[in-house]
Amino acid sequence: MEINRVNTRIIPFRFEYHSPSSLGEALTILSRYGSEARILAGGTDLLVDMKQRLVEPRHLVDIKRIPELRLLREDVGGFIIGSAVKLRELERSEAIKGRLPLLHEAVSSMGSVQVRNMATLGGNLCRASPSADAAVALLALEAEVLIAGPTGAKRVPLEGFFLGPRATLLRPDEILTGVYVPYPPEGAGSAFIKLGRTSLDLAIVNIAAALKLRGGIVEHCRIAMGAVAPKPLRLRNIESLLSGRELTPEALEEALGMVEASIKPITDIRATAEYRREVSKVLLRDALKTATERCGGRRS
Amino acid sequence: MRIEFTLNGRRRRVDVEPNQLLLNLLRDELGLTGAKYGCGIGVCGACTVLLDGEPVLSCLILAVEVDGKTVETIEGLGEGGRLDPLQEAFIETGAIQCGFCTPGFIMAAKALLEENPEPTEREIREYLKGNLCRCTGYVNIVKAVKLAAERAKYLT
Amino acid sequence: MSMSGKSFRVLGERTARKDGLARVRGLERYASDYYLRNMLHARVLKSPYPHARVRSIDVSEAEGLGATVITFRDIPRVRFCPRLVSTPEATYKDWLVLTDRPLYVGEPIAAVAAESEEEAQRALESIRVEYEVLEPILDPLDSMRPGGPQLHETILLGDEEVRVEGNLACRLEVAEGDVEKGFGEADVVLEREYRTSRRYHSQLEVKSALVNPEPDGGVSIWCTTQTIHNTRLLIHEIFGIPTSRIRVYRLPLGGSFGSSIHTNLVVPIAVALALKAGRPVKLAYTREEDMHDHSSYQMIFRLKLGAKRDGRLTAGELDMVMDIGAHQVQAYPLLGCVVGWWVSLYKLPSKRYRGRAIYTNKVPSCAMRGYGNPQTTWMVESMVDELAEAVGMDPLEFRLKNYVGKGDIFWGQGPTVKSVIESCGVEEILRRGAELIGWDKRPKPGEQRGRYRRGIGLGRGFHTSSAGAAVPGTVVDYSGAILKVNEDGTIDYITAMVDQGGGSLEAHAKIIAEELGVPLEVVNIVAADTQTTLYDVCTHASRGVYAGGGAALRAAREVKGKLLELAARVLDAYPHALEIRPDEELGQGIIYARGVEGKEITIGDLTTMARHKNWGTIASAVSFRPGSCPPHFTAFFAEVEVDTSTGRVRPVRVVAGADIGTVINPDLAEGQIHGGFAMGWGLAVLEDTPYDPETGDLLCRGYITDYKVPTAADMPDVEDFKVFFVETHEPTGPFGAKGLGEAAKNPAAAAVANAISNALGVRFYELPITPDRILKALREKG
Repeated sequence: MEINRVNTRIIPFRFEYHSPSSLGEALTILSRYGSEARILAGGTDLLVDMKQRLVEPRHLVDIKRIPELRLLREDVGGFIIGSAVKLRELERSEAIKGRLPLLHEAVSSMGSVQVRNMATLGGNLCRASPSADAAVALLALEAEVLIAGPTGAKRVPLEGFFLGPRATLLRPDEILTGVYVPYPPEGAGSAFIKLGRTSLDLAIVNIAAALKLRGGIVEHCRIAMGAVAPKPLRLRNIESLLSGRELTPEALEEALGMVEASIKPITDIRATAEYRREVSKVLLRDALKTATERCGGRRS
Repeated sequence: MRIEFTLNGRRRRVDVEPNQLLLNLLRDELGLTGAKYGCGIGVCGACTVLLDGEPVLSCLILAVEVDGKTVETIEGLGEGGRLDPLQEAFIETGAIQCGFCTPGFIMAAKALLEENPEPTEREIREYLKGNLCRCTGYVNIVKAVKLAAERAKYLT
Repeated sequence: MSMSGKSFRVLGERTARKDGLARVRGLERYASDYYLRNMLHARVLKSPYPHARVRSIDVSEAEGLGATVITFRDIPRVRFCPRLVSTPEATYKDWLVLTDRPLYVGEPIAAVAAESEEEAQRALESIRVEYEVLEPILDPLDSMRPGGPQLHETILLGDEEVRVEGNLACRLEVAEGDVEKGFGEADVVLEREYRTSRRYHSQLEVKSALVNPEPDGGVSIWCTTQTIHNTRLLIHEIFGIPTSRIRVYRLPLGGSFGSSIHTNLVVPIAVALALKAGRPVKLAYTREEDMHDHSSYQMIFRLKLGAKRDGRLTAGELDMVMDIGAHQVQAYPLLGCVVGWWVSLYKLPSKRYRGRAIYTNKVPSCAMRGYGNPQTTWMVESMVDELAEAVGMDPLEFRLKNYVGKGDIFWGQGPTVKSVIESCGVEEILRRGAELIGWDKRPKPGEQRGRYRRGIGLGRGFHTSSAGAAVPGTVVDYSGAILKVNEDGTIDYITAMVDQGGGSLEAHAKIIAEELGVPLEVVNIVAADTQTTLYDVCTHASRGVYAGGGAALRAAREVKGKLLELAARVLDAYPHALEIRPDEELGQGIIYARGVEGKEITIGDLTTMARHKNWGTIASAVSFRPGSCPPHFTAFFAEVEVDTSTGRVRPVRVVAGADIGTVINPDLAEGQIHGGFAMGWGLAVLEDTPYDPETGDLLCRGYITDYKVPTAADMPDVEDFKVFFVETHEPTGPFGAKGLGEAAKNPAAAAVANAISNALGVRFYELPITPDRILKALREKG
């Protein structure tokens, strides 16, 4: 009788709170408690889940006081963003805005300013929501996730990180420590577009596209969409269709014709599957158009 | 757990359970009922307070998380009879109807003006979209924020 | 100085509302902001099924945890109606405080109280219930079909038990004139079906009650309510506590919009718990519980209208089925109001109406700002646009030709209450609004190509100001006001009327200051409760300013008479030659003899003298019944932009005009219209609470993540929202004033819907007009 277990005014059960100051300490706690523990970052998803009784961890491991998870730094050919970096920090970072405008655009569209002051990039990814805005942008940027566990650290392409709604590769004793985001090729243009019911909404459909043209020919093309499948999706077939071709109206039509077969949208309270199929094409057209306009370093 | 934090300029030490929410600590234990419960899931903004100067949702923050930090609530504004320009502007422009969302709006707007003293109307609306109001259609609220911004500009 | 040229001192001035200071400082206390020492926290056990019978309930574990527990067995099995506005013969009763036969997901079955909310939650979860799950009915049209599940076997009408057939809660038929002949005379006859949605009020404050059991067996109650006196009467009706021992405090409401027009279930539940525990009990719903507590009425209309080539309407026929959910709050009076809303928009020489209210296994419906009028107006204004097009007339001219205005018979409150309209600014509203929006430049429907298309739409409407009438009728409508003059010249104003936020009490204070000739600052709105106030029926029906202000004005007149009488004694003058003027420096009123130097005394000095001379308190207590319920009128002109690729609609510009008689609070009056538009926008394009056919629960399960209302970023810029008032003088209103709260919303959705149709050349017959529906309609149009 779930209706009687939900209580959004309080967290209706007890747990132990841990606030480790180092990654090692955090990993030790996780190893000790296994699936009884949950990592607390921004809390904007986890605490809601707890109030709604979707999860009932006995231990919360707050990672916000671990310095290395809060770092935002340039690395070889890209950025490393600590998993506990707040969305608002990313939004405010001039470096991100300049070098990863696609990520900036996606992050700025997320939630309210209050939510962005709390929510972290790592949290958004670990939630593995099919509509996660940041995930869609990071897929198009071919980001990799950095994972630390009892046996050491590893780097995994983000695309393989998502297994389905609320499911990731992450094991209970592992921590997502950060994301490596490579710079898109010099001169590439990008666009992130999201459709919601109001200005404050989860995406009905969202899309991220990064594009580079050379002499009118598509040299680099990355497209990802959200809320059209059980997990955020790279549209590789469309990417390879367009790569090496000129973006003619015919090529575009061909690409749009492939959208329906590439996605598996569902009907839910936010929209029908039919609607999602239809606007997915619109969003692809719009995103490619905007990304093309932004090619060559211009960005409106 | 014992936590210590700065609340409206004063050091406070309190004992809290790990599952206690900041909103309930403020309202039920410390008697500050200006921040409201509106939805409990971070959508309506009625529970907005400033944490280290940034607007956040106190319904989704554990009390233990604010240990060592600074929290400002609506009650900290205009203490001693000197109203904040935003508070004055809200009264003057008719931005208050039922008033239930007002504390959240004022706290969010305060953070906006600290960060961006001359916001455009679209910036104001975008910044305040996480605060829901069912009475005013937001028109007079936006007017109030503009007025407060203008006055602050005039003062400096 | 008012806009109509009448000279007022306080009315029409922009003044800071008295409660503003507390509200901007976070010090205003709403129901859930009240705490008592030693209080218990309560939680409610809700039915997880839309239709079931409780076979057994085991609360022993909860009691073992130390909680106070009540079930349906612990509360007097009194069937009641939570809204006590109608007289008994027009009141259907089908509610229990706690039930063993839940009829919707969320219906309360039991409740617990414990030392903390967490402990109460734990106790709640330990209650074991065995249900016999019954087949639910979620669709009102299915519900009417014979052979299906029946929700109520019998219900009470007044005290008489009546059988319910086919889940028909109540019905009403009205006819006037020869409808067949009327349609026969028509050159154009249109017939359409219109469907509205089931919205949620989404008021910011959730329902809440704090109850203190008093040593004398009575209770003190701090709760969300639009009516403290009816709350008291209902608690008396259910629990038999003497009325004089039930004290309900008047509190500010964090928005309500009709959702506390009736006594919210949290109140009797908390009373029962407090009586059993012998301790104060606080029961504040969570948002998800609140969304399982109330919703608007969904209406399915079949409308037929006939018109002559010259645009004159000849006849109308309306068949309305409304989904009222599991219980009646006010379905029966609404059936009457819907026909009233319908026929009072445009003159119909003949008309026929049938309204039916149908039970379904859904959250009970109650009034939601407009009480069926926004739905009705959307329907009528949609068809009026179509009719105008069919006869080749400008829709605005069509409206001007047919609208019900000054001198016409008005039956806004239903067929039994008729009056003659004495003030009406409709024509000027329409003419000025058309000019401001650029009506003559609006596109022809369907002529635009391209992805983004703009359209301009008009919605015109009205609402009654109060439910007053020359005859008693079946609706209670009167107000009370008490005024006391203090020894320093300040005035205490005591009323039971609740302010929903619109500033009704602020308006009363201004009316009192205007009449008495005192500075507004000296009028003090006293915190009050049922024991210290005269009866007021409820803050609903846009009656705050008109009816409540009417009582305040009459109380002020009485006090003024007494002041002048006593001053005449002191000044050795004639009372009828005395006047009162405000002295801003002294901060009070001065009574003086016109033209005679030195013959004056401050109200404070006079009152002090009255004390020393033992003349008694200068005070008045007035109970006032309005003899009419005059319509206040509004029109919205909305310009929208439709993205035909995504179906998204954006508001571009809004022009709104209103005739509310004399404008008392300009800022707040404009604010009503701003807010009304936002809510109308939600009705037009956004809001609905669909149900999950599998579980019978709300699809959004009560989480507002999936009940969207407009945000600041969704609304047009300040510059693009123009509001103007056409001031008239309503002879029956206080200083010529009428209501506003509901007409501020009623035609907004119609304007938006008509604007969308104007942009696309497609008409929509179902609300909300979502992007999904827009794309579908465009596909079908080809």
